[in-house]
Amino acid sequence: MNNRFFSSLALRNIKSNKQLYIPFLLSSTAIIAMFFLMVSLMTNKFVQERSSSLPTLFMIGVVVIGIFSVIFILYTNSFLIKRRKKEIGLYGILGLEKKHVAKILFFESLFSSLLSIAAGLLAGLLFGRLVFMLLNFMLRMPNDIAYTTSLLSVGATVALFVLIFGITLLYNISQFTFANPIKLLKGKQEGEKEPKGSLILFILSLIFLGWGYAISITIPDPLAAIEKFFLAVLLVIIGTYLLFISGSIFILKALKNNKRIYYRSGAFISISGMLYRMKQNAVGLANICILASMVIIAVSTTITIYLGSEETLENRFPYEHNLKLFGDMDYVAEMNNRFFELQDEVIELTEENGLEVAEMESYRYESFFGNLEDGSFVFEQSSVDGDLPVLMMVIPLQDFNGMTGENYSLADDEALFYHSTKTYLKEDLSIGNKTYSLTEIENEFSADMALTESIALVVPDEAHLLDLREDYMGQFPESTHITVDAEIGWNTEGTEAAEKALAEQLESEYNGVSGSFSRYESRDSQREEWYSINGGFLFLGVFLGLLFTLGTLLITYFKQISEGFDDRGKFQIMQKVGLDENMIKDSTKSQIIWMFILPIVIATIHVSFAYPIVRKLLLIFGVTNDMTWLMTFIAVVIAFAGIYWMIYRVTSKVYYSIVK
Amino acid sequence: MTLLEIKNLKKIYTARFSNQQTEALAAVNFSVEEGEFVSIMGESGSGKTTLLNIISTLDDASSGEVYLDGNPLSKIKDKEISAFRRNTLGFVFQDFNLLDNFTIKDNILLPLVLSKTPIEEMESRLPPIVRNLGIEAHINKFPYEVSGGQKQRVAVARALITKPKIILADEPTGALDSKASQNLMEILKGINETGQTILMVTHSIRAASFSKRVLFIRDGAVYHEIYRGEQPADEFMDRISDSLKVLSTRGEQDE
Repeated sequence: MNNRFFSSLALRNIKSNKQLYIPFLLSSTAIIAMFFLMVSLMTNKFVQERSSSLPTLFMIGVVVIGIFSVIFILYTNSFLIKRRKKEIGLYGILGLEKKHVAKILFFESLFSSLLSIAAGLLAGLLFGRLVFMLLNFMLRMPNDIAYTTSLLSVGATVALFVLIFGITLLYNISQFTFANPIKLLKGKQEGEKEPKGSLILFILSLIFLGWGYAISITIPDPLAAIEKFFLAVLLVIIGTYLLFISGSIFILKALKNNKRIYYRSGAFISISGMLYRMKQNAVGLANICILASMVIIAVSTTITIYLGSEETLENRFPYEHNLKLFGDMDYVAEMNNRFFELQDEVIELTEENGLEVAEMESYRYESFFGNLEDGSFVFEQSSVDGDLPVLMMVIPLQDFNGMTGENYSLADDEALFYHSTKTYLKEDLSIGNKTYSLTEIENEFSADMALTESIALVVPDEAHLLDLREDYMGQFPESTHITVDAEIGWNTEGTEAAEKALAEQLESEYNGVSGSFSRYESRDSQREEWYSINGGFLFLGVFLGLLFTLGTLLITYFKQISEGFDDRGKFQIMQKVGLDENMIKDSTKSQIIWMFILPIVIATIHVSFAYPIVRKLLLIFGVTNDMTWLMTFIAVVIAFAGIYWMIYRVTSKVYYSIVK
Repeated sequence: MTLLEIKNLKKIYTARFSNQQTEALAAVNFSVEEGEFVSIMGESGSGKTTLLNIISTLDDASSGEVYLDGNPLSKIKDKEISAFRRNTLGFVFQDFNLLDNFTIKDNILLPLVLSKTPIEEMESRLPPIVRNLGIEAHINKFPYEVSGGQKQRVAVARALITKPKIILADEPTGALDSKASQNLMEILKGINETGQTILMVTHSIRAASFSKRVLFIRDGAVYHEIYRGEQPADEFMDRISDSLKVLSTRGEQDE
């Protein structure tokens, strides 16, 4: 018997098991396309260039989808092979040796994996192109974001799925090698056994979930959030699978033991059905739950970033016109004169353009890196290796009072103190050769200060700035960049044309002149750029949301179809002993609480616990408004629940039409 | 009292894409008294199963009528047909038709659950039935964990639990070995002796010999019938087999 024979037999098997293979191939194709899209996105130009944290986040996405693919394909495969045990057991009885059966299985895997990988790559390419075109059009992106893919992403996708299909093949062969034909003939009838140690699994799931949640709740700052986000996601995913596997069996058994609930026609049929394939049921629900969480997080965060664009702009550019003055190493004293001169200069320029200065803020400051150690701030070179040092901004009192409108006065050994993490509780702080007694204030400075652990210190006058600089230079003589810098920001009132003219004039005056130590930025000219970046995020978010929703649709569809074919025989028997159509509807209805409510509720809990860590991540993108995120979050949860409800309704109709 | 009356029952199958018609039942007439145990015998294709399906309301007749307790089955509304099947008829099938996702106990209770019977009622009906059928020890097992004979006894229990007017059995011993068959038939006979009406379709002469009356059906019509009377089982078996022989030889002469 040669390979041709086995390959044609394998092909015929696939054809004659159409009912099983079509949903299997469809959902494998979808998951391969999904992974391929995700890998392609990771290497996308926009993702790579726009923000340093995006590639990391997409890397997480790729790994999550990768894990998801492994679980999903193993799960659908085990479902498929269980249904075919009888057929393959028959081969053994008809006299085929085990190696022959293995050959048939090999060809079957070969054909189905070739087909689904090819179709998945093609579908991914088409879907990516089309949806990118559509989104570019719908979101009116100023610069189109191109969908690109590379041989590398194709290679990665092919490699992963060849591996996964290889594993399923080994699993299938082992199923038939270690079982006797009679057992195989009966394979389909046996219900799934409860996994051993389900109580331990349940406890483990709580530990994983709790650990993941704890990481999110206790995350100190955004940079740690990027680092730990992946671990937290991974823990929650593992926890979710374990929770659904152990928890759902737990609940189902409890329901079964409650006679008043169990012995009612709808519950009777659906509970026993779910217990019959408990693991499969649990994995399916966990898949849906994880996808739902990903949709909600991806869409709600990117919408928040987009909606928060204006706020981000205001954080980054507190005034319509912003002029930054860089201090000169060698002429620190001249800086002060320049600082006051410039203020007069820009007021003059503004008025020349027919505008009125509505508000103005200006301050000088000095930044140091260092660490808080037992009542003193120890300077450090501002190197970025190792643990991130604490950033300290030192501001003279005069400027602070000027910018806040407060009227503080400080003795020579007193200072105002703001600490982003509020973990420094001592009354005094030594820095350089000085010790200040501290008065705590709130963050009156940039919102960026919350990004990493930062300190603002308001000292009595600018002489203190120079002293501190001297102390620092004494410690690190080669250091070149400790200078007193200054910010001048102002708003103007007048016509739009005049505003524009002013912005252009300021830009040519202060920017791009070599040797100048200032930089001018207008909020209006930054706005467009900012919106296109944030529009890009929204784009990715909507794309991912769409992708994951489609995944949810396919998984729900696969679940309903495969269970429908599984249950058809049972419903026929039950109809013979007097089951009517209303009762079939009843039993499908009583699955709603499982199929619909459970995944959505758990996903919502996941996302709620993800709130602290996601909030920290949002800070990186300049979003500080909690309300925006909360409202979008609620809206997205409701919208997704609505979409999933439709998916559920449609697929359960499919189920109903199969079993009826 | 006549429980079941079949009058001029006809069933004609028409192929979907042609006008060719197959007559499964030509004109069937017979009746079953309350408390009777009637077997219907005939060769494959004689129309036995079609007849049983029409009595079971699983299939419609082309013409003629089946009366149960004097009420025509064709007048039962579609909505009530499942409830009717559940409450008035008990089924035993050749291939058991037990559900693998239910324990033995739940398989037996299934029709009651479908009828929304109170749990107390269900639990009081179960023990005597499983005790009589000798499956008491297995009620928490699943169907794939017990033998064929036990499965069929579970099916009988499921048929009995609704206290049906009539039990319809389709080749109940068809998938059982001789010992299990013998055991099952003794059980059915015992059930009949408590007053339960049973109508059984079978191939097996031995199985038929447990009933009180045997109807022979051929080419869609009742051809002959014999009563057991006070005869012992062995003699009745001989008579059945003689009748079958006559039936088949005449059939060949006809052709």
